[in-house]
Amino acid sequence: MLCNSRNMGNGVAQARPESLVHIQDFTMMFGSHAVIDGLSFDINRGETFGFLGSNGSGKTTTIRALLGIYQPTGGTLHINGRPFSPEDGRQLGYLPEERGLYKKESVMDVMVYFGRLKGLSRQAARSWSTSFLERTDLEDKATVRLDKLSSGEQQKVQLGVTIMNNPELLILDEPTKGFDPVNRRLLMDIIEDQKKAGATVMMVTHQMEEVERLCDRVLLLKNGRAEAYGSVTEVQDHYGGTTIRIRYAGAIPASPLYRVSLRERNYAELKSANTTDESVILKALVEAGVQIWEFSTGKLSLDEIFLKVYGDESRSDHSR
Amino acid sequence: MSRHNLRTVVEFEVRRTITKKRFWIATLIVPVVIAVVFGLVTLSSSETNSSIEAQKKATFSFTYTDASGIVNGALVKKLGGSEAPSVAAGVAEVKSGRIDAFFEYPANPSRGTVKVYGKDVGVFNNGRYSSVATMILQLSADAKIASPELAALARGTVKVESSTYKDGAKSSGIQGLIPPLVYLLIFYIVIVLLGNQMLNSTLEEKENRVTEMILTTVDPNTLITGKILSLFMAGLLQMAVFLSPVVVGYLFFRTSLNLPNLDLSSLTFNPERMVVGALVLFGGFTLFTGTLVAIGAVMPTAKEAGGFFGAMMGLLIVPFYASSLIVSHPSALIVKVFTFFPYTAPVTGMIRNGFGSLSVLEEIVLIGELMICGYVVLRVAVQLFRFGSIEYAKKVPIRTALGLSTSRRTNE
Repeated sequence: MLCNSRNMGNGVAQARPESLVHIQDFTMMFGSHAVIDGLSFDINRGETFGFLGSNGSGKTTTIRALLGIYQPTGGTLHINGRPFSPEDGRQLGYLPEERGLYKKESVMDVMVYFGRLKGLSRQAARSWSTSFLERTDLEDKATVRLDKLSSGEQQKVQLGVTIMNNPELLILDEPTKGFDPVNRRLLMDIIEDQKKAGATVMMVTHQMEEVERLCDRVLLLKNGRAEAYGSVTEVQDHYGGTTIRIRYAGAIPASPLYRVSLRERNYAELKSANTTDESVILKALVEAGVQIWEFSTGKLSLDEIFLKVYGDESRSDHSR
Repeated sequence: MSRHNLRTVVEFEVRRTITKKRFWIATLIVPVVIAVVFGLVTLSSSETNSSIEAQKKATFSFTYTDASGIVNGALVKKLGGSEAPSVAAGVAEVKSGRIDAFFEYPANPSRGTVKVYGKDVGVFNNGRYSSVATMILQLSADAKIASPELAALARGTVKVESSTYKDGAKSSGIQGLIPPLVYLLIFYIVIVLLGNQMLNSTLEEKENRVTEMILTTVDPNTLITGKILSLFMAGLLQMAVFLSPVVVGYLFFRTSLNLPNLDLSSLTFNPERMVVGALVLFGGFTLFTGTLVAIGAVMPTAKEAGGFFGAMMGLLIVPFYASSLIVSHPSALIVKVFTFFPYTAPVTGMIRNGFGSLSVLEEIVLIGELMICGYVVLRVAVQLFRFGSIEYAKKVPIRTALGLSTSRRTNE
């Protein structure tokens, strides 16, 4: 299923029976400014969902409204068929964009505190925390105050606090922010483990390779509306489908079979028109006298799609 | 689950409060200062007593003149003194250094002044002359009365036991006043010492950016209640530590510290006043705590919240400007205003309750008002924390926070 802002605005999105998160016609006004305008989408049980958008597009606002931290101006935001309440916190793991824990307390004390609030016994929370700290190379930091840890180490602890209750729904707002590549890999492994264990993951990130690696479906949020929504492949198809890349000599003639989207010296990218098969296009080029040195096909990466969707925004941001 | 989380919050907050160095520095500094003061008082007291004794026993040569005829010559002789031929001669002998002191008793010592002339032996030791001059006069008067009992009565050494009645029942007097006023003491100590911590208790979540994590894990009502309970417990601990040197001093060093001998068994506990006092304390504590928590929720930093803390403390002190009226004229308009204005009501109410000047109707209105105001303020504080503390670096206008909190949820 692929939606864009036009058809989502009509409210056609339906709650699937397996959906864990259901958002319908969500609107959020700050003063007279609509940050979110009639947003609707579902996150299915067991899937990893990429919630994407440029800075200020309303991702964090949506998450905060979903978790009852903000009161929505309008619409329905449900988890497991009802509005979230802190009583449901035992089934939730939430890593907010604004990172922070009780900095004057020791790592173990904070982890045990949150573990107990999430329903673990003191012993279970301590035992789980010890294992997690070992896995993340922080075993010697258990009794150290959080403010004595590096920013990356603090983030690892916060991730541990987020997942220690084996949550049914894991909401991660820019989880790899501030991590070096090694720890980013470790974090991705931990998220994958949670996914394998059956968790539904909602992930906000600007790292598109992470989305391609982990996410089943994505939503691109722009100006408070869903710009694109569907599986990664569906979104890629929507933004150009298959791209034909050629290295060549000669002149590429105009043709109803394709459209030239990029032309550089001896290199071009072509888009197939009317889903014409790539081999037909190749044959037409050769017959037109174009010398083909190299021919390949591929879809646009999410990174490229992101640039395509938000490029104008970023440029206008910079120019301001 | 809510109860489990409340216990977890209380345990966490109490543990981290009482394991802070800052808490113990603030807590121990008071008993240490009290102990030092007590030590100095004991030392000074014993020095003073020794000095007085030494002065009494001091032997020095003196002469006197007596226009009253009261001074007993034999007594003076025993003390080593003698009568001077005239005032001028006595003063001259002192000036020349032939004798140490000369006392001039007037014709009527009860109205006139006994004049003492002496050789200067230092500011403190010069007091011995007047001590001996007074003692001579006192002993001479006792000798004239010739009855130790009458002499004691003449000095005003009389034991009096008063019994007063109100509405036909024996009133309890000062013994009945003390127990309900203990609530006022508790209220002051807890609010003054812990008010700043109450203010900072929610600011910490905000400053540490932990609000989102905590709000999705524990109900804000449970969190705030847990924080208040833990602060109250920490306050009780502080009070116990503060009072410990006083109790030790009273039990073991009462005489040397010149502490009054309080017969605790004579204290009267009026059940009505004790219950009313406890309820006013509870309501007042809830109101002040809720207000401080609310301020903490909308202020971005402890520094900015500090100004409001000063204003809250001011409201605690204001009723004392009318304390004499509160005690003597409880029906005065200002007393009525202070009794029912929520932020002056706890202090005024507890004082009036102690002195028994609250009518039953006033008690009911006061307690009801404090309970309702406390509950409302606490609810507002929770809402402000819930919707105000998410604005980490900004001061949230209360209207905005409340406006958000009261907007209708359409997803329910």
